[in-house]
Amino acid sequence: MSGEDKFDVIIIGAGPAGTACAYTLAKEGKNVLVIERGTAAGSKNVTGGRFYTYALDLVEPGLWEDAALERKVTHEQIMMMAGEQSITIDYSNPAFNKSGEMPQSFTILRAVFDEWFASKAEEQGAVIACGIKVDGLIEEAGRITGVKAGGDEMFADLVIAADGVNSMIARQAGLVPELSDKTIGVGVKEIIELPAKTIEERFHLKSGEGASLLMLGCTEGIHGGGFLYTNNESISLGCVFTPSEAASHGRQVHDIFQDLKMHPSIYPLIEGGKTVEYGAHLVREEGYRGIPKKLYRDGLMVIGEAAGFVLNIGYTIRGIDLAIVSGVAAARAVISGKNPGPAYFEELNNIKLLPSMKAVDGYFDLLEIHRLYETYPKVASGVFNKMYSISGETPVSIKKGIWGVLKDNKVSLWQLVKDGIRGYRSI
Amino acid sequence: MSNVIVCFKWVKAEDDLRIDPATLAVDLSKAKGKISDYDRNAIEAARIASESAGSETIALTFGSNDAKTALKDALSRGPKQAFWVNDVSAENADGFVTANMLAAAIRKIGSYSLIVCGEGAADTYAHQVGPRIGALLDIPVISFVKEMRIEGSRLYAVRKLEDSLEQVEADLPAVVTVLPEINPAPIPGLKAVLEGGKKPVTEFKIQDLDLEDGDTSRKTDVVSFKGCSMSRKKILINEGDAKEKVTALVAALKKEGVL
Repeated sequence: MSGEDKFDVIIIGAGPAGTACAYTLAKEGKNVLVIERGTAAGSKNVTGGRFYTYALDLVEPGLWEDAALERKVTHEQIMMMAGEQSITIDYSNPAFNKSGEMPQSFTILRAVFDEWFASKAEEQGAVIACGIKVDGLIEEAGRITGVKAGGDEMFADLVIAADGVNSMIARQAGLVPELSDKTIGVGVKEIIELPAKTIEERFHLKSGEGASLLMLGCTEGIHGGGFLYTNNESISLGCVFTPSEAASHGRQVHDIFQDLKMHPSIYPLIEGGKTVEYGAHLVREEGYRGIPKKLYRDGLMVIGEAAGFVLNIGYTIRGIDLAIVSGVAAARAVISGKNPGPAYFEELNNIKLLPSMKAVDGYFDLLEIHRLYETYPKVASGVFNKMYSISGETPVSIKKGIWGVLKDNKVSLWQLVKDGIRGYRSI
Repeated sequence: MSNVIVCFKWVKAEDDLRIDPATLAVDLSKAKGKISDYDRNAIEAARIASESAGSETIALTFGSNDAKTALKDALSRGPKQAFWVNDVSAENADGFVTANMLAAAIRKIGSYSLIVCGEGAADTYAHQVGPRIGALLDIPVISFVKEMRIEGSRLYAVRKLEDSLEQVEADLPAVVTVLPEINPAPIPGLKAVLEGGKKPVTEFKIQDLDLEDGDTSRKTDVVSFKGCSMSRKKILINEGDAKEKVTALVAALKKEGVL
């Protein structure tokens, strides 16, 4: 092989993980090639659209100031829906967004963000080749030595798979099994354009501020939930479903999602908007326990969602920050010059990625409680209904009302206690 | 044989254009750029022609800063080097100005035996630039070319006319404007893309070119630029059995004059 066909590192995928890794390696003078299947970085990605800023600061302090971000998240909202009813909790804490300091989190549009981020990695000297599909790995005597793309072969000391949720590369290398329908969600999402001022009025935001809204009880009982993020001049609205349950449900996820758009608590937020993008994608749902046992074999490393670095713990969903952090960890392992496999694992711990994911591992069990997706939202709305219904008739006591609601929803005291204990143990 | 120069245009991707349904105003602000579709076939045609003649392909464009990405893309398609007349006026230049720029750049490049252009640009499709370059350089122009080959210093081409094919010959140097069917435009592979990023690009500014007064002033004025939106009649035929529906459909199509 000639010098032209050999890189220090080849990274497959120019998403946040691959790009963060490429940026860090190129900055240290490594000869890095990133191969991206889309015609531009970000063009094949679908995500809710929220990003935790600390991750970008790990790549390069202050880099976030120049980043293609949308609104800083000042309002954290959770909505429970039952039929046409809804209960919303809105939490805001100015400490997350102190003036002069780095805001904790931003909404983002991936097509814009990924392209910006890739251009920054290019500035550091990484070579980014877009519009190219990697067909497979080159293996020589048990070691991964390069990639095949079309008729071309390209070699490297290390190949890094950052090819996302359904990583063909990690699977081909035998590090990750086939995805199971139990461990992933299928997400659908629309980007709905609205003027900035309209968004600010509807969500009670100041200019540059944003809201993040997660919804429960909008999936017709299917394990899953909805999300809404406010961008500068658009709203990202979507829904995630467990595919096995959705398949046996009888209705198309797309139709359930359309109903969510028409929900009396959602429609006024998007009314008059124009859908400019519709996307669907898979997402890993298992958290810590979904991370493959081995993320390295001789000549190959796996990062980002390909390596299972996604967290859905009900009140927050994280993936982009974890992807970036894993990319930085992989890059640091390479730069350290140590045995890459153990060094990567060590860096994932040092950078607190594995410990953070482990700490919230129990949420998977909490989210497995099926009553969470229909019954409990109904119970909660039922209780509120009792509290706020005033007709002039003699009301039943709230206590009695709660029992009535539980009975209506066929929830026994025993189930409630059991789920309560399970929930408490999970968190 | 000396160089084959292929001219290409960096245009806005039509999929990204947005038309305001009320005013029909076209919003270009969110549109990404791309190499004009037919010009991709033209680049491949130039590559094939120069390969068969053992010469070098050179890519040439007139574009603003925005066109920088285009050069890498064009070079990954085979040309050995690129020349770029970089000026913001390219964004609203007409065929007259563009041809003046390209012809002046070609004179500066100096040695050439064949100039290849796409038959028309994806945005304006005005068929102006190729013939004008031929006139400016005072060399033959062959348009609507669907096949071509070079033997020595002679060019043999087949032109696709409305109802016939015309075989023509000309001495080189000459300008050809090619139809997309001349050859496919393959998507560059990994190595080609990597090589494309390393090939030399020479940038010209307008003042570097030998131009005369008036060469940079457009001859045509765009009076208005509006989207075209087709309003649908939204006729729904859903009553009766299949036979009745078909009868109603045929009647409706007849009424519209399409049958």
